[in-house]
Order: sequence, then structure tokens, then C-alpha cells
Amino acid sequence: MPERCIYWEEAKAIILSDAHFGKTGHFRKSGIAVPQDLYKEDLQRFFSVITSCKPTQVLVVGDFFHSTANEELNLFLKWKNDIPNLTIRLIKGNHDILGVDWYNQANIELIHGQLQIGPFSFQHDPAEQLSATVTDDFIFSGHLHPGIQIKGLGKQSLRFPCFYITEHQCILPAFSKFSGLAILKPKKQDAAFAIVNDQLIHIT
Amino acid sequence: MTDADNQTKAMHAKTQNNIVYEWLTAQQITPFTFQEQAWQAILNGESGLINAPTGCGKTYSVFLGALMQFIDQHPTNWQSKKNNGLQLLWLTPLRALAKDIGRAMEEVIEQLGLQWKVAIRNGDTSTADRAKQKKQMPEVLIITPESLHLLLTQKGYPSYFTQLKIVAVDEWHELMGSKRGVQTELAISRLNGCSQNLQVWGISATIGNLEEAKKVLLSPLKKEGLTIKAVIDKPIDIHTIIPEEMETYPWAGHLGIKLAHRLLPIIEQSKTTLIFINTRGMSETWYQTLLSLAPELAGAIALHHGSIEQALRLWVEDALHTQKLKAVVCTASLDLGVDFRPVDTVIQVGSPKGIARFMQRAGRSGHRPGEISKIYFLPTHSLELVEAAALKKAVLEGTVENKDPLLLCFDVLLQYLCTLATGEGFSPKHIYEEVQSTHCFNDLQPDEWHALLQHITTGGTALQAYDDFKKVEIIDGIYKINNRRIAMRHRMHIGTIVSDAMLKVKFLSGGYVGVIEEYFISKLSPGDVFTLAGRNLELVTIKDMHVLVKKSSAKKSLIPAWMGGRMSLTANLGAVLRKTFSDALTPNAGIELTHLKELFLIQQTLSHIPKHDELLIEQIEDKDGFHLLVYPFEGRQVHEALSAILAYRIGQIQPMSFSISMNDYGFELLSDSPIPVDDSNVRELFSDHLLLQHIQQSINNTEMAKRKFRDIAVIGGLIFQGMPGEKVKARHLQSSAALLFKVFEEFDPNNILLRQAYQEVLEQQMDEVRLRLALQRIADSQIILQFPKQLTPLSFPIVVDGLNRNNLSSERLEDRIKKMQQQLGA
Repeated sequence: MPERCIYWEEAKAIILSDAHFGKTGHFRKSGIAVPQDLYKEDLQRFFSVITSCKPTQVLVVGDFFHSTANEELNLFLKWKNDIPNLTIRLIKGNHDILGVDWYNQANIELIHGQLQIGPFSFQHDPAEQLSATVTDDFIFSGHLHPGIQIKGLGKQSLRFPCFYITEHQCILPAFSKFSGLAILKPKKQDAAFAIVNDQLIHIT
Repeated sequence: MTDADNQTKAMHAKTQNNIVYEWLTAQQITPFTFQEQAWQAILNGESGLINAPTGCGKTYSVFLGALMQFIDQHPTNWQSKKNNGLQLLWLTPLRALAKDIGRAMEEVIEQLGLQWKVAIRNGDTSTADRAKQKKQMPEVLIITPESLHLLLTQKGYPSYFTQLKIVAVDEWHELMGSKRGVQTELAISRLNGCSQNLQVWGISATIGNLEEAKKVLLSPLKKEGLTIKAVIDKPIDIHTIIPEEMETYPWAGHLGIKLAHRLLPIIEQSKTTLIFINTRGMSETWYQTLLSLAPELAGAIALHHGSIEQALRLWVEDALHTQKLKAVVCTASLDLGVDFRPVDTVIQVGSPKGIARFMQRAGRSGHRPGEISKIYFLPTHSLELVEAAALKKAVLEGTVENKDPLLLCFDVLLQYLCTLATGEGFSPKHIYEEVQSTHCFNDLQPDEWHALLQHITTGGTALQAYDDFKKVEIIDGIYKINNRRIAMRHRMHIGTIVSDAMLKVKFLSGGYVGVIEEYFISKLSPGDVFTLAGRNLELVTIKDMHVLVKKSSAKKSLIPAWMGGRMSLTANLGAVLRKTFSDALTPNAGIELTHLKELFLIQQTLSHIPKHDELLIEQIEDKDGFHLLVYPFEGRQVHEALSAILAYRIGQIQPMSFSISMNDYGFELLSDSPIPVDDSNVRELFSDHLLLQHIQQSINNTEMAKRKFRDIAVIGGLIFQGMPGEKVKARHLQSSAALLFKVFEEFDPNNILLRQAYQEVLEQQMDEVRLRLALQRIADSQIILQFPKQLTPLSFPIVVDGLNRNNLSSERLEDRIKKMQQQLGA
């Protein structure tokens, strides 16, 4: 979806990555005045996807929260309390450094390493080899904040966040708008879907 | 003042200050008139600006004045009086200068038998020395603008300055026009608030707007002040190095290495030669090349640039003083500072981009009285010979550029307010008045001031209850930073010189080589070889912000590219350049132009050579797309603005996208479809009708503001470049200026720093007055439209520069140039 996440209909699940909730708050706490409206927009997008798709679970492939606890996370909790039946399963990413208690309290299931659902695995870092037996699995991951560069004649070029899909895996774009891009160069057999003005465009 | 007045006043000074005069006589020094004028003015309690080139006693002009004043005020006990508190604050832009100035001052003090102490304070000052200074301030403190601001973060700083009599700002022409100049203005406004009857003396080399420079500096004192000029006439002797084989000399490029062998006889014949190269990367290449051409020079030739380890730089400077070196390859790092007496020759490689800089560099040679400054100009590509001719003309006519002071730099002001909040805290009403007394913030509006205070206290609009914003707190009306970590981080980031994140380069076995940009090193992998400080180094690993290397014997190595901006040609040089072009192919064109005959003939055959009252436009189609080339000869900066406006206006005729590239001669619009410019619309495209509106609109469509924001975000405290001992935590605080720019554009478009980015573009890049002048000149010119079948000699460097922007490595770039040149059949 152009909202920077995937809706998996059969499993009634939303898959997303690198939301970095609380990032603006973390910056502001250190005296860097980043506009908080950005966080508000990220949150609103998250909850509007939940309201419109009505998933039973959210699978987060890492970096759901940016750093240590702050007021912004309390805002997240307040919103989350309004949808008590939602299961959130977080595959721990390098930014998820909150205490175990915090996740328990927030009713977020914390998973280390990898989550397996049928033929699909979920992990944070696409480059990490987590088990030798998963060669046929299709892996969902994040971490990179993938982006794609489109070049035109006359030396023109544009960059967009994208979903990057190969035969065996899908790397999700960062859900948060407060994130940079790692430009990937698609191989022939791979597909990239760029997020351009609330649309997904297949880049070949 | 008339000369007679000056003389009587100088006489007066003499009788009052026999002690210093006696000492001067004993040293066999005859004071210059301007020095005596300065001494008298200082004794009279005045402030002002001294205009004197380096190396003719400008330090003495203020320093001896301060001593005379002290002796005057303590006629009986000046020799025994100790611990007088800070009397003279000596502000200098370069750390490297401090040591020599301090040494010279100490000598005088010792010989006169005063009890004064001289101390240096900058990034290299040890904690022990700092503590000593805190306990008892020396009488003279030599300091950089950054360190002065750092001093203002200390508790109780006002007590340091209560006895302060004089602030001397050395090399004011270098500071003014930069954000360090703004820092200096703000510091003076604060010092003026801490001490009574403060005198401020600027020392400046010749610039076009000396009177304005004085006004800017003295603005906080609300005094007019005196201008004292040293009348010292030193002739400059300019030689151009003409390539032997003009036909094969490249049409573009900026290395000029092909002519390296021509430097050897010059070095041979001179006592000591300074070789000025425009960038650090190229200076590395030059150093290597000279050594391989003349291995016998090993040990007698050295390299000096800003990224080399300080101890090595100091060694080079000492060796220059003692005439141990035959030649030094250097960058702007040796533009300023004390004189190296043995230097008798200067070589400038590539365009110096401005007349003032060229003259200053020339002035680094031949310092002894009666000697001539000798400078050689080595062109790095054919067309630069035209620039050589233009420079000669300009020096002859005595044209010198202005330095324009900056206005309303909110980023510097934000940093300054946090600086004050870190130290004593500040009361807004009081500081508002002080800030407004500076030239930079004279026009500061109450709503802007309010936005600035909001920015540091509440962080702009926020989600009220769910916000942790913390920086400056207000307690009893005093604005203060109480959080120790925020205060510490602020101290680490005081300064306005923004560079890419720098990593220290060290040998595996220990030993520090210099610094290198993260951007460059991130493209290398272990085992790659690069050059720094003239040594070939193999990358082993990167660890904790250190690049670990070992020596390499590899023949090939990568030369780091430092991102330090390329300078733009000044308007004055541009004007001279246009006239010079007019003379091409005329019989008495001068040696440089005569040698370019072949090239001009090709240009003439393919297209046209623009006269000074003509504007040439070329349209060329090739496999890259459709090129539109325009040659206003106004300098890179104006071209950036002009090209953006032109692109905007063409886009109004027909939607299309361009890639824009430019140099000092002209600019290129490249598109994937034909560009609709012909004699029916060209006049209109270059008219000054609706200029302001089109400037505004074209700014929004280019990346200029984004580039400006890079520096602003760092100075304004939005980006931290990491600090020792806090690496992991700081990592969660990292973001790029480009990302922040995007975020602010979307979520906080009224942010004061974002507004400043656009304002800077408007004032510095898009200077409406200068643009209007340029467009009016074009309106009075004849416009010549040409459709050459292939790239012309004039278009070539611009198109190649465009390639360069797309990050092609230097080797492939050369191949590319060669190939294109073959296509041209030159």
C-alpha cells in the first residue's frame, strides 16, 4: 500500500517496518526542534490503516520505536488503548531498545530474531542469515529504508522510497517519514515499487 | 585629518611615550606614519580600522598602542604592576597565526620590562592552561572567534572583561562576509556590554569597501571611528606560463599537471617558492607529481593544507621561516598569516577567482623593503589564459572587490543565544538591544526575535502534553540551559565552519596523519589505497571515528575529494574578462591571447567569439540530449541564479525538466527534448520584467535552498556531528540536512531556519540588484544565437563540469574528456 505498509488479506495482518515512533520526541528531548507534526502524521497514517483494513494483527519487522521511552510513546499508547483487540508482534530491530517490561505493559509481543508463519519468515535485517533451513522461505524484512533512483535523459534523476521484491524476499520501506533512503539498484529479476505521491509505481 | 594635524599628533605621542620610542630606536626600527597615527588614536581613546597589508608592522600598530596607553595610565609603576586583568583581546581568524603573534608580543614586553602576560586560547589550549587563565586572566589574550564564544559559555565570564580596554580584530577582511564575521560582531556587542569605554580596532587588507567594513565592525559601539591607511606601494610582477603545445593543451579540467615540469626551473631560480593550488585534493596530486619529476627535491619540498596534522603544518611553517625549504605546495591555508621572509616567488595554479585574492597571494612574496612581489600564473586549461590576461589588466587598473557583510543570520544568532544560555543565562530585553546594535541584526524584527526565543524554549509548535522538548528554560525571566548534557553538546558544537563529517586518519602502529571526509572514505573498501599528506596509505579499517591505515607502496592511489566549495568568479573579474574576450584575434591582444589563436579560430568557425557588448547563446544536440549554452561571463554565482530563472521561464512556455551546469563563463541547460529558444522569444527570456516574482518561483524549484540549509542546520544546532564518549546515544540523534529540509518543508514551512535558507539564496545567490544589472547589460547587448554542429571550445568546460557533478571518478573523467575531444576533431 502507498501508506508504506503491506496488507496481508488471508492472515488479516498489516506488515510494516521502521516506524521509528518517538524519533521526533527523542530529538526534541535533546534540544533539536524537529516538528512534531511529522510524528502526528505517522501515527495517524498507522491508525487510519488499522481502522480501514481492520486487521487482527500487526507484524512489525523491526525498529517500531526509535529509542528510549518518552512522552510521544505515551501518545501512541493512548491511541492504542482504543483498539484493545489488536495484536502487535514486533520482531526486534536494532532501534528497539526499550525494556521488556515496557513491551509487556504495552501488550506488544516481542520476538527475537525471526518469526515464521507458513512459508513466510519475518526478520529485521534482510542481510542476516538467521537459520540454514529457510532457503525456500519468502522473507519479509526492513532495516535498510530502501529507495530507488530513476534516471532520465538529460541527466535527470529522482528518488523515492520503495518496496523492494526479489524471488525470495520483500524489503519494506520505512513507515516513518522521518527517515532517509538507501538507494538500491534493482537486478533484472527483481521488482521495485516506488511510492510516488500516494501511489505505487512499478519500476522496471 | 590633514597631514599636518597627523604630524603634530604623532609628535605629541612621541613626547608622551618616550619609553616605547626609545625602545624602537634601540631596535633600529623607524615607525611608519600609519603606526604613529594608530598609536595616537589609541591614546585618544578612539576606535577604527587600520588598512595595511601583512608584513609591514600592523601588529605593532595596535599592540604598541595598547602598551603606550598602559604606560601612560601608570606612569610611575608600569614596570612593576602585575595581574592587571585582561587589557587587550586579540581576535585572529587563524589558529596558526596565534603562536607567532604571541611570540612577537612577548619579546617586546620582556625588553620593555613590563609584567604583562600573553596567552593563547584556542582549540589546542590545554585544560591546565585554561584553568590558569580562569584564575588570573593574562593581560593579552589571543583568541579565535569560536574560542571567544566558548569563553562566553563559562559561568562568571563578565568578570574577565571588566578591565578590557581594546579588542583588536586581525584580518577583518577575511572574517567579514562570513558567518565567523557575524560571530565576531555578536561577541563585540557582548564585550561592549561587559566593559566600559571599549575600543575596537580592526586590521584589514585592502578591499573595495573599507569604510563599510569599519562601519560593520564598530556598529555595536555606535561610533564612527577612524580609518588609518598604510601607504605602502609594492609593485607586482605577473608572469603567465604558456603551454608549449597549445593545440594539445586540454580545453577543460582543473589540474594543469601537464605543465608541472615548467615549475622546476622557477623553483630552482628562487630562494623559496609558494605554490598555491585551489583545492586540497589537487594539492596532493601536485605534490606527488613534483616529487616524481624532480626526486632531488625530496626533503626540500613540502605540502601544507588544512587537513594535514597540525604538528606537521607547524613544522612546515617553521621550516619556511628558516629557509629550509625550496618550495611548499599549499592551499588557502597559507593565504593569511605572518610573513615568511625567504619567500620570493609565488605560483598560482588555476584561476584565483578574484583580483583581491590574487594580489594577496602575490603579496606573500618579496617582503623586504624595495623587493618586488613575483607571481607566476599557471593555467589549468586553455581558456584560463584569458583569465590571466584579465588579471593582469585588473591589477594594472587597481580594481579590487568588495566583501559584503552578511545580514540576519538566524542560525548564528540561535547558536549565540544558546551560548549565552549555557553560561550566565540572559535576559531577553537586554540582549535584544545588544544584538540589534550589531550591523548584522540591525533590522531584526520583534516577531523574528520572538520566533527565535520560541525555537530555543518550546521548539516551535508541538503536541502540548506529549512533548519532551528541552533546551533553554526560563527561570525568573532569565533564559538558561540547565541540562548538563545539552550544555556540553552545545559547547562541542560552537562554530560556524561546517564541513562534512571528518574522520581522523591514523597509522595502525600509531601516529596521526590528518583528517578526511567521511563521504570519501565511505566509498572505499579495506585494501584500497589513497593519498593524504603526500603519503600513499592503504585503508585497513574504520573504527570509532578513526580511519586506520598502513603505508602502501602501490603506484596508483585515489586522491580524496574534499567537498569544500568551489569559489565563484567575482563580478569585477568577470567584467574585465568580458573585455579581454573582445580582444581575442586582434593584433595587439597580448601574449596570452595570441597563444590561444588556434582555439579562438575553432570557436570562430564553429560558432562565434562574443564581444563585450554581445551575449552568445549556443544550442547543440548530442547523445546526452539538447544543450542550451549561454555565456554572460558573470561568475558561477550569478549564473546559478540566471540559469534557474531562464529554466523557469522556458518551463512556462513548455513544461520540461533541465539539468543545469555552469562555470564562471557561462551555463548550460540540458534537456531531453528540444529547447524552445529562438530569436522570437530570446529578448523576453532575458528581460528584467517580473524579475522578483520569477526569482521567488525559481528558488522554490531548485535545490539552492536545500544546499544552504546544510550549513544552517549545523550552525543552528539541528545536526550533531557526534561527540566522543557518547557515540551510541548520539547515533539515535543523527539525521541528514537533506532529510531535515524535507521534514521542515512538509511539516513546519514557517520554521525560522528554513526561512533563512531561502533568504540566503535570495540575498547571496539571487542578489536581485546584481541580477538586474546583469539582465540590463544583456538587454543592451546584441544576442547572438548559434547552432554549432558539435561542442565548441567555450561550451566544452561547462559540459564537462556537468559530468563532474555526476560523481564520475577522476580517471574516467579524463578518458571522457579525451574521447569528447576526439569527437570534436580538435
